Amino acid sequence: MIEQLQLFFIFLKASALAIGGLASLPLLRADLVPQYVTDAGIVQALAVGRLAPGPNGLYVVSLGYLVAGWTGALYALVGASLAPLVMVPATALARRWLMSAWFGGLVRGVSLATAGLLLATGVTIVSAGGTQLWQLALVAATVVVTAHGKLHPALMIVVGGVVGLALGR
Amino acid sequence: MPIVKAPPSSRALARAWFAIGTQSVGGGSSTLFMIRRVLVERTGWITLREFTEAWALSQLSPGIHLVALAGLLGRQMAGLRGVIVSVAGMMVPAAIITALATALLGEIAQHPLTIAALAGIGPVAGGMTIGLALTMARPVLQRGRYAILDVAVIVTAFGVLLAGLAQTIVVIFVAAAFGAILLRRARPTSSDAPMA
Repeated sequence: MIEQLQLFFIFLKASALAIGGLASLPLLRADLVPQYVTDAGIVQALAVGRLAPGPNGLYVVSLGYLVAGWTGALYALVGASLAPLVMVPATALARRWLMSAWFGGLVRGVSLATAGLLLATGVTIVSAGGTQLWQLALVAATVVVTAHGKLHPALMIVVGGVVGLALGR
Repeated sequence: MPIVKAPPSSRALARAWFAIGTQSVGGGSSTLFMIRRVLVERTGWITLREFTEAWALSQLSPGIHLVALAGLLGRQMAGLRGVIVSVAGMMVPAAIITALATALLGEIAQHPLTIAALAGIGPVAGGMTIGLALTMARPVLQRGRYAILDVAVIVTAFGVLLAGLAQTIVVIFVAAAFGAILLRRARPTSSDAPMA
């Protein structure tokens, strides 16, 4: 029971303290790897999250499933759905406060730090997944494509899978 | 704009969000595009102005911005009932598909072909995370001499996590306090507004 509660809290916390869907990844990785899931599991969850419909942040549901089956998926879904909804009362009660300079600074600080944390998490995922030359080339290509935002994100997963089938055996 | 808008029925609302949640593969901008097309253009339940304002506010939310957007638009359309139906309508079907896909992948995870494919998907997942970090950093980076402060936050967070110097959560709280005190010059901009 306590462990279940802890697991739900891990997902709720990751959503509540991150600004943006994928921003929860560094927090979740810190709490879940290696006790509950491996880096390979993180890769699977990210891939499924990109290929499945809905917001990208739903990769947490895939991660929840890997950690604790349907119960874990439910925890992740509830956590990810509840945290952003704080905005509904907040915009009604404290609109001016949300528009204040210091709150803007706070959001900015968290966003910048999250960018750095995601960068480090990305490097960790890359080094855990293998660093053969063709794999590093895939990393570079994906970084460029993602930063430019031209190609559909789900397509890049498919490309990676095909290249893996050709070269990863 | 009429002064009194009849709120959509829960069933119509659920159907609209179900379409948004299940027909937008890849998330992010494609979901945003669907929300705008269904709620603003097709049904007219939301005006473009309401949509834009809710979007700007949702960018300040913790967690998935699209959930905050669904909640804010839901309230606009049908109060608390609208919040619940909108968020559940967007999230639950998509979450079920996501969990089912994960279960399916688990069934074939040990197959040599799956292992080979994942050897190529791993670098893509890592590259997407790095690319996303760069995209996140881009709009918040200020031009001019203050950019050095912004870069310092990014580099510090990066170094601290890679070197294992502090917990992730500590980095976030310190950055929040640092930002509230030292980075308060401008609000988060809507430079990549969904309309652009």
